[in-house]
Amino acid sequence: MKILVIEDEAELRKSIKEYLYQEGYVVESAKDFNVASEKADVYLYDCVVVDITLPFGSGLDIVKQLKKNGSGTGIIIISAKNSIDDKITGLDYGADDYLTKPFHLSELNARIKAIIRRKKFEGNNIIIANEINIDPEQRKVSVTGNEVNLTSKEYDLLLYFISNKNRVVSKNAIAEHLWGDSADQIDGHDFIYTHIKNLRKKLVEKGCEDYLQTIYGIGYNFKINK
Amino acid sequence: MKLVTKTILYYILICIPLLIIATILSFKLISGAVNENVNETLLSGKIKAQQIIDSHAEPVSLFLDYDSLSRITIDTTNGQGSTLHEIFKMDYAEREEIKFRELKSYYNKKGTNYLITITKPMLEEDDLIENLFTSLLIIIGFLVMAFFIVNWFISKTLWNPFYKIIKQVNAYEIKNKPGISFTKTSTKEFKQLSIALNKMTEKIYEDFIAQKEFSENASHEMQTPLAVIKAKLDLLIQSPNLKEKEMEQLQGIENSVNKLSYLNRAMLLLAKIENSQFIKTEEVNLSQLIEKVVVNYEDLIASKNISFKKNIIANYIINMNPVLCDVLITNLLQNALRHNHNNGEINIELTRNKFIISNSGKRLTINENELFGRFKKNDASNESIGLGLSIVKSITDTYGFSVEYKFENDLHTFIINF
Repeated sequence: MKILVIEDEAELRKSIKEYLYQEGYVVESAKDFNVASEKADVYLYDCVVVDITLPFGSGLDIVKQLKKNGSGTGIIIISAKNSIDDKITGLDYGADDYLTKPFHLSELNARIKAIIRRKKFEGNNIIIANEINIDPEQRKVSVTGNEVNLTSKEYDLLLYFISNKNRVVSKNAIAEHLWGDSADQIDGHDFIYTHIKNLRKKLVEKGCEDYLQTIYGIGYNFKINK
Repeated sequence: MKLVTKTILYYILICIPLLIIATILSFKLISGAVNENVNETLLSGKIKAQQIIDSHAEPVSLFLDYDSLSRITIDTTNGQGSTLHEIFKMDYAEREEIKFRELKSYYNKKGTNYLITITKPMLEEDDLIENLFTSLLIIIGFLVMAFFIVNWFISKTLWNPFYKIIKQVNAYEIKNKPGISFTKTSTKEFKQLSIALNKMTEKIYEDFIAQKEFSENASHEMQTPLAVIKAKLDLLIQSPNLKEKEMEQLQGIENSVNKLSYLNRAMLLLAKIENSQFIKTEEVNLSQLIEKVVVNYEDLIASKNISFKKNIIANYIINMNPVLCDVLITNLLQNALRHNHNNGEINIELTRNKFIISNSGKRLTINENELFGRFKKNDASNESIGLGLSIVKSITDTYGFSVEYKFENDLHTFIINF
């Protein structure tokens, strides 16, 4: 899987690259519009992460260019602008998703995975993590064939953990993933804990191994063999 | 007090003493002239009497007029010279005392001493005073009336541009216009005034815009460094060598970074609303939108064991920017949730022209009027950033809705009147 990260801020570019590299992707990067445009023309990527404000041009034009090339590349816009207009324009140009800065790398990772899954398998895929099977289309989870009845939030939580398996995911990242902009409503993290406790209980009841590790106070790690 | 009224008042204050002085002066002058005239008449009467005495060979004693006030008598006291004095006598016809001026003069002819008495009534003098006062009163009356009319006319025409300027300044809303363009006037002073005010409002508008742009740009610029910090933290926590203590520190940093980014987003949103970047309005189904927002918060509401009641009319359509409408409802619900306590309650009601949301919670410690102010927090230790209700106010202002706060039956109640 090949990913292109187009971002002018060096530190952010480096961090994204590193996180995605650890996920096992082949990651390339571009620091301005010209480099990005060239790379987008020459190589084929599974997913492109593009910032809107770039030196020498707009990221939206890269989106247009990728779409014109007709490649099935997944596109995620990352932008400091969270104005709805940018969002609509980006998605109108054919971007698959839009992420407002600042974001968690685990969130970006989960979104990239979701896009690649949609693009490559057109929804006909089942995510398999050892004994856990997830059908994203139906939003159904089963453990060794037994269906697990999860609430919508618990389902999202599990998918998020599996997307970021073997990584430490912070509680803040989880809160933001589950509640979006309303995450700041969650005073303290007891509330997340309740959801996690329920999810864990439901999985273990169906005979699933308890993969979820609590990492000191900061978050969780869904430890599962690769 | 109106300028015109004040002018008239000052005018009257100055005019009355002046008119009194003028009256006294003219009275003195005129009565002096009258006196002189009387005296002259008396003297000429005396001369006539002397001529009468001279024309008689024998000594005479006679009355010179019908009421026997002026007469010639033969004097036996050997008086000499002449005296002039005033006497009062009863006038039977008019039944009042009348003032007379009397000239007594002795005249000697061929050894016979005559006393000539010439008397003239002073009726003219009284009449004079009376007439003078009457005419003065009439003059004052006319002057005041004329002044009122002139001033009314002046304020109607001359001051009209001034009142127009005041009206325009009052109606000026900095959000909508870059300065005031005043109605043209031919009066130099008002021209200067409108030019000065125009310059001033333009300057204020420029500053206003610059400040708004600044807060938007500043928020924007902060997003990237925040993104870097967040990303670095995400990488750092992957490290297998971190001890619990270090993780705690990282957690603290992450919480603060998150808070900063919420704050930043809220500020950006506020700046964008105020910079009118959400212009596009469309028909929003408010009833559906409320249901959607509520669903999003269902588990949060449940986690606090809050009893939630809603009473929403179906398919209420409102013309608004859909994003702002969502933000409005979300912020109000967030507010009701955040400032609630466990086992509390939240009630939502949507009628034809009102959206009402009420929640239980601690009483306000800040002034009600400050509730919608920026960074005004009821509870300083609270996680809240203190911008939620400012955003609500900003949105309702944009659409001309009114938002009220009430504390009723131990419930904080917010009412939005569409």
